[in-house]
Amino acid sequence: MFSFLVRRFLQAGLVLLIVGFVAFSMFNFVGDPIDNMLGQEASQADIERLRSVLGLDQPFVVQYWKFLINALDGNFGISYRQGRPVAEIIAERAPATLELAAVSGLFAITGGIVLGIFTAIRREGFLANFIMTVSLIGVSLPTFLIGILLIYLFSVELDWLPSFGRGEVVDIGGWSTGFLTASGLKALILPSITLGLFQMTLIMRLVRSEMLEVLRQDYIRFARARGLSERAINFRHALKNTLVPVITVTGLQLGSIIAFAIITETVFQWPGVGLLFINAVQFVDIPVMAAYLILISVMFVAINLLVDVLYVAIDPRLRS
Amino acid sequence: MKKSIVAIAMALMATQSVNAETFRWAGKTDPQTMDPHAVNSAPVIGFLNNVYEGLMRRDRDMRIEGALATRWEPIGAKGWRFFLREGVKFQDGSDFTADDVVFSYERATKPQSDVSSWFATVTDVKKVDDFTVDFYTSAPNPIFPDTITNFMIMDQGWSEANNAATPAKETENYATRNANGTGAFKVVERQPDLKTVLEPHTGWWGEVEHNITRAEYTPIQNPATAVAALLSGEVDMVNPVPTQDVSRLSNSADVKVLEGIEARVIMFGFANQAETLKYTADAGKPNPFRDPRVRKAVNHAINVDAIVQTIMRGSAQPVSQLVSSTMRGYSTSLAARPEYNLDKARSLLAEAGYADGFSFGLKCPNNRYINDEAVCQAAVGMLAQIGLKAELEAMPVSNYWSELRANNFDMYLLGWSPGSFDAEHPIRFLVTTPNPEKKLGSWNFGAFSNARVDELLPQIQSEIDDTKRQAMLDESAKILQDEAGYVPMYVQALLWGARKKVELVQRADNFFILRWVTVK
Amino acid sequence: MTNTTSSKPLSSWQQAWQSDLAWKFRHSPIAVVSLVITVLLVLSAVFAPLVAPYNPFDPGSLNLMNGFTAPLTPNAFTGDEFLLGTDDQGRDVFSTILYGMRISLFVGFAAVTLGLLIGVTLGLIAGYFGGWIDAVIMRIADVQLTFPSILVAMLIFGVAKGFTPVEYRDEVAIWVLVIAIGLSDWVQFARVVRGATLVEVNKEYVQAAKLIGRSAWSIIFGHILRNVLSPVLVIATISLALAIIAEATLSFLGAGAPPTQPSLGTLIRVGQGFLFSGEWWILLFPSVTLLSLALAVNLLGDWLRDALNPKLK
Repeated sequence: MFSFLVRRFLQAGLVLLIVGFVAFSMFNFVGDPIDNMLGQEASQADIERLRSVLGLDQPFVVQYWKFLINALDGNFGISYRQGRPVAEIIAERAPATLELAAVSGLFAITGGIVLGIFTAIRREGFLANFIMTVSLIGVSLPTFLIGILLIYLFSVELDWLPSFGRGEVVDIGGWSTGFLTASGLKALILPSITLGLFQMTLIMRLVRSEMLEVLRQDYIRFARARGLSERAINFRHALKNTLVPVITVTGLQLGSIIAFAIITETVFQWPGVGLLFINAVQFVDIPVMAAYLILISVMFVAINLLVDVLYVAIDPRLRS
Repeated sequence: MKKSIVAIAMALMATQSVNAETFRWAGKTDPQTMDPHAVNSAPVIGFLNNVYEGLMRRDRDMRIEGALATRWEPIGAKGWRFFLREGVKFQDGSDFTADDVVFSYERATKPQSDVSSWFATVTDVKKVDDFTVDFYTSAPNPIFPDTITNFMIMDQGWSEANNAATPAKETENYATRNANGTGAFKVVERQPDLKTVLEPHTGWWGEVEHNITRAEYTPIQNPATAVAALLSGEVDMVNPVPTQDVSRLSNSADVKVLEGIEARVIMFGFANQAETLKYTADAGKPNPFRDPRVRKAVNHAINVDAIVQTIMRGSAQPVSQLVSSTMRGYSTSLAARPEYNLDKARSLLAEAGYADGFSFGLKCPNNRYINDEAVCQAAVGMLAQIGLKAELEAMPVSNYWSELRANNFDMYLLGWSPGSFDAEHPIRFLVTTPNPEKKLGSWNFGAFSNARVDELLPQIQSEIDDTKRQAMLDESAKILQDEAGYVPMYVQALLWGARKKVELVQRADNFFILRWVTVK
Repeated sequence: MTNTTSSKPLSSWQQAWQSDLAWKFRHSPIAVVSLVITVLLVLSAVFAPLVAPYNPFDPGSLNLMNGFTAPLTPNAFTGDEFLLGTDDQGRDVFSTILYGMRISLFVGFAAVTLGLLIGVTLGLIAGYFGGWIDAVIMRIADVQLTFPSILVAMLIFGVAKGFTPVEYRDEVAIWVLVIAIGLSDWVQFARVVRGATLVEVNKEYVQAAKLIGRSAWSIIFGHILRNVLSPVLVIATISLALAIIAEATLSFLGAGAPPTQPSLGTLIRVGQGFLFSGEWWILLFPSVTLLSLALAVNLLGDWLRDALNPKLK
């Protein structure tokens, strides 16, 4: 078990190193930050001065090495656009994304499970088939379009919900939360639906097929033969056995929720790390882009690692 | 736990205390910094005009007037003397004196400053007494007061006490997120990219015309989201409004659109000097754009009226030269655009030996100017009518300038807004032969070059007599038109959307000045 | 498989018609309708030059004054009429959709093919050989998974732009999209195929083949491949829909097909700017087309999944 863990940790470290290299090398092609940092009247001398101050005149390998050394130290450099430490900016923006991701995730999981069970139990029913078909719309339109249509309907036409931002936020020990004010909660609704719709469809279909599979198993047939009520069969036995794969998939989907938040955050001007990333791409703010990608990678690798470890803990056969 | 409950309670109270007089507005980008000398970009300078003030400022109609200076006069041909306003207080309560002006000049001319080009001709700045300052220039500079309206004065004591005596660009200092100006509004809260909150400066020297008690600025990137926010009343003002939404907003019961003409001229430029074409199947063949007749043919083939009418929906004005008619030094004698005439264009091409046309690469930004990509696309169609097959590559502005600087174009789109609101400005940056040492022609990507224009520029810069100066500006503009070094198309419109209850002034430089805002 | 066992040889069409799958297909109205819609859309895209009244990719044929013409309403300046109206450039929306769908479908098919080839090959190898080969391949898959698909696509887009010589950039834009989207979804093919291969490897027929000395490659491609294909088919179908949507999403982030040769996604990105201004047709028709295409393909995939799953009979 111990050597397994060590091996997995080393592998995870290697993965991060590669990700860092790939991320960093790619940014050399996104554009030139200097143009964004200087006004239109800047002279060639200004351009060269800034280039050397930022170290952009050095060979690529040197730049990557410096970046790596600093990153290992937890120092992701200074944002070109804001002139502040990247770590500080990301810490400031993370709560917005995490809250959005949490609410979308919750929406996706509860919605997905409830609808999944329903469509599995009423497999042949009209309503279930209708839900199955309609749910596909959620994965058949690009996210940005869904977001804009929701804004058009609920903000402009009906005037029920805000079209952008987080509303009023409350700062608790450096964590800004939108959960504690009415406007903050209202502001969460449309972005969460936009972001969660895709995952909800996914989870719903997964729950449905797992459920159908389980309902076919022998022990369910026995349960039925023993005269247990349908409700008890569906919820106490079938659902319980459905949940394991659902939890695994959901865990892995959490990362893509945060990644796809880029689009939702742009549409709703949601001040999270996704919007920060898009701003950074437009400005060629290399330190912010690199830090964001590494952060996402760490998260994914951590989730993967956790899943692996859990599997080993559950299934002793894998320990050898 | 107790602490957090208090925090929540306070936050809830804060929510309730936000009253109707809070004015909210949104723009496309966040001002990068609160430091008036660190970044010379319109979002920064425009925003900070509400917080800081210069010696000079512009009124509603862009005429210059005294702000922190009450009078100014030339010191012969040696420079300019400014007499300062007395009794002015910074937002932290300290007094404004000549020392602050000298300090701000020194700060703004440091290598880290992004505004030092404003003082290219200044050799020295001397304090005469507490309320008199002299600016010495290397040559007579008749328009110097016009060029320093955005030169904002910082408090020497505050800057030094907070270690902000040097502008910070690649890092941050105290002045990046805090401000202490003499302007009508002070920064009370600054959250980069999220919101910036201003409140009136109670000790301001001027007469208060606004009725704002609190103003909140939020950047909203997606234009559709910004329009939605305005329509639903979440913001009171949006700049800019997409051209296509003008009519919808104007027809709405609660919203109005303010339309004006911006200073920015949109034009096509060419690889004037390159030996060969760089793009398409014709890459490597001799570059036809070296021939003025070919450039003129392009000029006759672009139907500017059609672009203005459809893509810009009437919200733009055709233009014949590199500045719009409201700028100083505009050549009235050259106001007519070359007519849209395909036959003429074709015969010019035939004359130049390209009767069968040719193909080439057209570069275009897709997020810099209003509808930039659509305009380029339309131009591709129009040029195809005379046999010129343009291959369009549109890219985000973050890649665009480095692409142009690397000479990766045969023809390209450019917008230019003269920072000094004077016709000399585009000549200096776009028309004179590029010369990095003299800081000339730094945006003349195609390296247009004309000896006479190069000769005229220094004379224009130092000519005090307005008539003579105008004659030289006219001559340069005429040369440029005859040579078709650029194809100026139209002046962009300023399109602001606002709730009907808001009264505001739209100035031609696209600066939103809060002290002219009243909310009913 | 060989035909020698059947006494009366059937043509392959008859075989297909009588197969289990075909029977299920004929008895599922949703599957039939989805297939008809998909085939119709694909055909009209493939034959766009014959079906479309105009060629929107030929800039010389455009008249800017035709811009913003409403559907079936004569243009105020030119008097021209268009079935689904025109966009801001005066392009016929109907023609643009047909040509745009060509690009979307091309990107979709090519990307899925690429992802499938890489994923299936690596999955088979990993599953068959196991050991360190398996570990290396699955670690690479982890790295790939670490980057969410749209980020991968954006980055490949950026790198390709940097490496491509300037004069070829326009031609490669579409291929870059293919590679970007294709590379971001090979992992799921690899994972599923690896899993299925692991099961197959332990079956008797593989062991037998190994015993009689068949080479690893002939076992993999001759036997195992055939038996792991049904999940691949399901994933491929659903990936096709996802790839088309991914292209649209990339377009929103500024990394999509060029505007002079717009895909459906680019059309929607441009069209969303006209949502408030009253020119609904510029957004609506491309969106509906994309929706029908993706929905039909998704429903087909759904049906395939159920049909190929023997447990769900």
